[in-house]
Amino acid sequence: MTLFTLMMSSAMAETGKLGFWEKLNPPVDISTHGHLIDWLFNYTTALNLFFFSLVCAGLFGFSFLYRRKRHPKPYYTYGNKKPQIMLATVIGVAVFVGIDMNITRMSNNDYIGVFTNWPSESEDILRVEVLGQQWAWNFRYAGKDGLFNTDDDVVTLNDLRVPVGKKVVFQVLSKDVIHSLYFPNARRKVDAIPGRLTRLWYELTKTGEYDIACAEMCGTYHYRMQAKLTVYTQEDYDNWMNHAQEHAFQTNDPENAELFWGWAWQ
Amino acid sequence: MAFYEQPIHPKPTTFLSKYMISFDHKVIGKQFLWYGIFFLFVGGLMALMIRWTLAFPGVPFPVIGKALFPETGGVIPPDTYAMLFTMHGTIMIFYAITPILIGAFGNFCIPLMIGARDMAFPLLNMLSFWLAVVSGVILLGSLFTPLGAAAGGWTSYPTLSTLVGSPGTGQTLWSLAIFILGASSTMGAINYITTIITLRAPGMGYFDMPLTIWGLWLTAILNAIFLPVLGAGVLLLIFDRVFGTTFFLAGAAATSGSGDPVLFQHVFWIFGHPEVYILILPAWGIVSDLLAFFSRKPAFGAKATALSMTTITILSTLVYGHHMFTTQMSPLLTQTFMTLTMTISIPSAIFFANWLGTLWKGSIRFTSPMLFSLGVVFVFGLGGLTGLYLGTVTTDLYLHDTYFVVGHFHYTMAASVLLGGFAAIYFWMPKMFGMMLSEFWAKVHFWITMVGLNGVFFGMMMVGYAGMHRRLYNPFVYEFMQNMIPMNKMITYSAYLMGAAQLIFVVNFVHAIFFKKEKASDNPWEVGTLEWTIPSPAPHYNFDKIPVVKCGPHELGNPNLTTGRDFQYQTENLVEA
Repeated sequence: MTLFTLMMSSAMAETGKLGFWEKLNPPVDISTHGHLIDWLFNYTTALNLFFFSLVCAGLFGFSFLYRRKRHPKPYYTYGNKKPQIMLATVIGVAVFVGIDMNITRMSNNDYIGVFTNWPSESEDILRVEVLGQQWAWNFRYAGKDGLFNTDDDVVTLNDLRVPVGKKVVFQVLSKDVIHSLYFPNARRKVDAIPGRLTRLWYELTKTGEYDIACAEMCGTYHYRMQAKLTVYTQEDYDNWMNHAQEHAFQTNDPENAELFWGWAWQ
Repeated sequence: MAFYEQPIHPKPTTFLSKYMISFDHKVIGKQFLWYGIFFLFVGGLMALMIRWTLAFPGVPFPVIGKALFPETGGVIPPDTYAMLFTMHGTIMIFYAITPILIGAFGNFCIPLMIGARDMAFPLLNMLSFWLAVVSGVILLGSLFTPLGAAAGGWTSYPTLSTLVGSPGTGQTLWSLAIFILGASSTMGAINYITTIITLRAPGMGYFDMPLTIWGLWLTAILNAIFLPVLGAGVLLLIFDRVFGTTFFLAGAAATSGSGDPVLFQHVFWIFGHPEVYILILPAWGIVSDLLAFFSRKPAFGAKATALSMTTITILSTLVYGHHMFTTQMSPLLTQTFMTLTMTISIPSAIFFANWLGTLWKGSIRFTSPMLFSLGVVFVFGLGGLTGLYLGTVTTDLYLHDTYFVVGHFHYTMAASVLLGGFAAIYFWMPKMFGMMLSEFWAKVHFWITMVGLNGVFFGMMMVGYAGMHRRLYNPFVYEFMQNMIPMNKMITYSAYLMGAAQLIFVVNFVHAIFFKKEKASDNPWEVGTLEWTIPSPAPHYNFDKIPVVKCGPHELGNPNLTTGRDFQYQTENLVEA
C-alpha cells in the first residue's frame, strides 16, 4: 500500500499533473448553490452503493453458495409463502422510502427553495439576456439606463463577465435551433429555445476564467459553441463595465438593425 | 383455451415461399434475427468510429478510414461524426435491438411457448418483416444522399431537424424510415397481443405462461399504444420539412404562424420513455425464466414478478417529463414527474428481490445462457440505480446531456438488452437451428464482453460526472476536459475489446449453423416449457397435436418426482406428495 502511494506520488511529482482519479472530479464549483447538487449526488451515491452491494452480495454470494457442486439438491419453493412475500415487499418499500422519497424530497426542496426561487425585482441583481445561435452565445447587458434593447446596451459575443458575490439572472432565447446554456462550474444548465424564454440564476463565489458550453446538440459545430466566463471582483467588474459602456456609446450604430435582438426584460 | 382451429397447410416447397415470403413464424423470427445481427454490426462499427474520434481526435480511422473519408485522408469529419452518432442511436434502438429481442424472439418464442401452431395473423407477420426491410433500405439509402444522413441526434429535436438546421434529404428519409418501421412494429405488436390472448394452449392461464411471454406481451402492448404516437410526431416533422407547415417552428425560424419546438419533445418522450421499457421488458422476462431454469427450482414469486412488470408497464407511461427538466417546466410538473419516476423503483426492487430469491438455495448450473442472465442482473442493477441521479431534478440540471446520461442508458438499454439477447440466442439456438453453440467459446464471449462493456459504460458515467457533455466532435477544445483524455482512451480501448469479443460470437454462430455436424437433442437444457416437448429444430407447424397444459412453466426440482428427471413438462400433471 505504501509502495503504491509512493509510486503514485512520485509519478505525480514527475509529471506535475493530477493523478488518474483526480482528473475525474467535476470542475471546481464556483457558485453558492452548486454544493447542493454535489451533495445530493454524493448522498445518492452512498445509498446506491449500499443497495448495489446488497444486490452483489446476493448475486455473487448465492452463485458461490448454491452452485451445483456445493448444493446439488435445490430447495423446491415457489416463493409465495407469506414471509417470502413480506420480505420482497419490505425490500421494495425500503428502497422507495430509504432512497427515493428521501432524495426526491431533498431535490424538490432545493429546486423550489433555491434554483427556481427567483431573486425579486427589488434586489440588487445583474440582469443578462442571452441569445444562442449556431454556433455562438450573445450576451446583452442593459447598460446605464437599465433598459434592454436600447442604444447603450453592452453586447458581447462568447464573452460573459460577471461580478463575484452578486446574483445574476439570465433570460435565455435562441435564434435558430435549441441550444443549452451550460455552466459546468456552477453545475447548471438551461435550454435556449426559439420562441420561448427560459431563465436561470446563480451567484458566483470565485474569481477567474471558466468555460461556458452548449450542452444540446445544435449542428455540426456544436462542439465549438464555447464561450468564456470571466468572474471579476465587484471593483474589476465596474471598471470593465465602465470601459465597455464607453465603447458601446462610441461604436453602437443605432441604424444597425442587427444590434437590436434584445427584448424587454420579463 | 384456443378460440379457433389452427389448420395445417402443406409445407412450402420453393425457395421463395420457404425462406423469403414465408408465413411461418419460425422463419420470420430467423429473418428478423439476421436482420438484427446485420444492423448490430453496422451500428457497432459506427460506435467504434465515434469512440475513435473521441480518443484520438484528428487521427485517421485505422484500416478502412482512407476508403471511407478520402477527402480528409481518413480523419472523420465533424459533419460525418454527427451523422454517425445519429445513425448509431437510430440503428441500435430501432434496427438492431428491436428486431432481435422483439422481432426474432417474439416471433419465434410466442407460438412455441404457448402451444400454438403459428401466429394469429401470419400474413400480417410476413408484411411486418418486409416493411422493416423497406424501412432499413431507406435508412441506409439516406447515407448516400448529397448532404448525407440525418445528423440531429437520434431524438431529432426540431428546430434542428427541420429545414432550419438540416436542409438535406437525409433527415426527411430518416423520418420516413422511422414512420414505416413504426407501422411494421405496430403490425407485429397487434399480432403478438392477439396471439397471446387467443391462441394459448388449452389449460394455460395467464400465470401459466412463461415469464418470457409476459415480457413480450407487455412490450407488445406498449408498442401498439405508443409507436403510433411517434409515428404522428415524425409525420408532423415530415409536414414541416416538405409541405412548409410550422408545427415545430417558432421565433425567427417560423415564417408564418408559430408552432413550438418543445411540442415535439413532448410527443417524442411520450413514446420515448415507454420505448426504454419496450426494449428491456423482453429481456427481463427471458432472464426471469432462465434464472429459474438453471437454478433448477421454480421462479421465486413468479406471479409477483409478472405483476411487477405489469406495474412498470403502466408507470412507464406516466413519467416521460424527466427527459425535459432542462426545458424549464413548471416546478409543479417537475415535482410530479420526479415522484412518479421514483415509484418505478418499488416494482423494480420487488423483481430484483425475486431474481435473487430464485438463485437462493438453487442448484446453479453456469451454462452460457445462465451466465448472460446473471450478467443482466448485474448491469441492470447498475443501470437502474444510476437512473436515480437523472430522475431527481437538481442533479439532472448538472448531469443532463452529459456522458453520465449516455453511460446510464447504455447500461439499461444496450448492456442489459444485449446480454439478454445473447442469453436468448444461446438458449433457443437448438430449437431454432437444431444446433448447439460451443459452450466454451460462449463463455469466453461472455467474459470478454462483460469486461469490455463495463469499461465502456462505467467510463462514460465517470467522464460524464466530470462534466463532459454529449455529441462533441472534439471535447478537448474545452480546457477542463483535457484531463479526461486518458479516461476517454480507456473507454475506447474497452469498446474495441468489446467489439472484438463479438467476432467470437459471429464465428461460433456461423460455424454452428452452417458447418456443425452434430445435431442438438430435443431438450438439451432439461426444462419443461412447451417448446421443449417437440423435436429440435421445431418442425413444420410446431405441434402435431395441440398440447394440453397442466402445470406451470418452472416445475423444476420437485422432490416428489419419481420419473428420474428433476423437471416436468407443462403437459404433465403436477406431482404432489
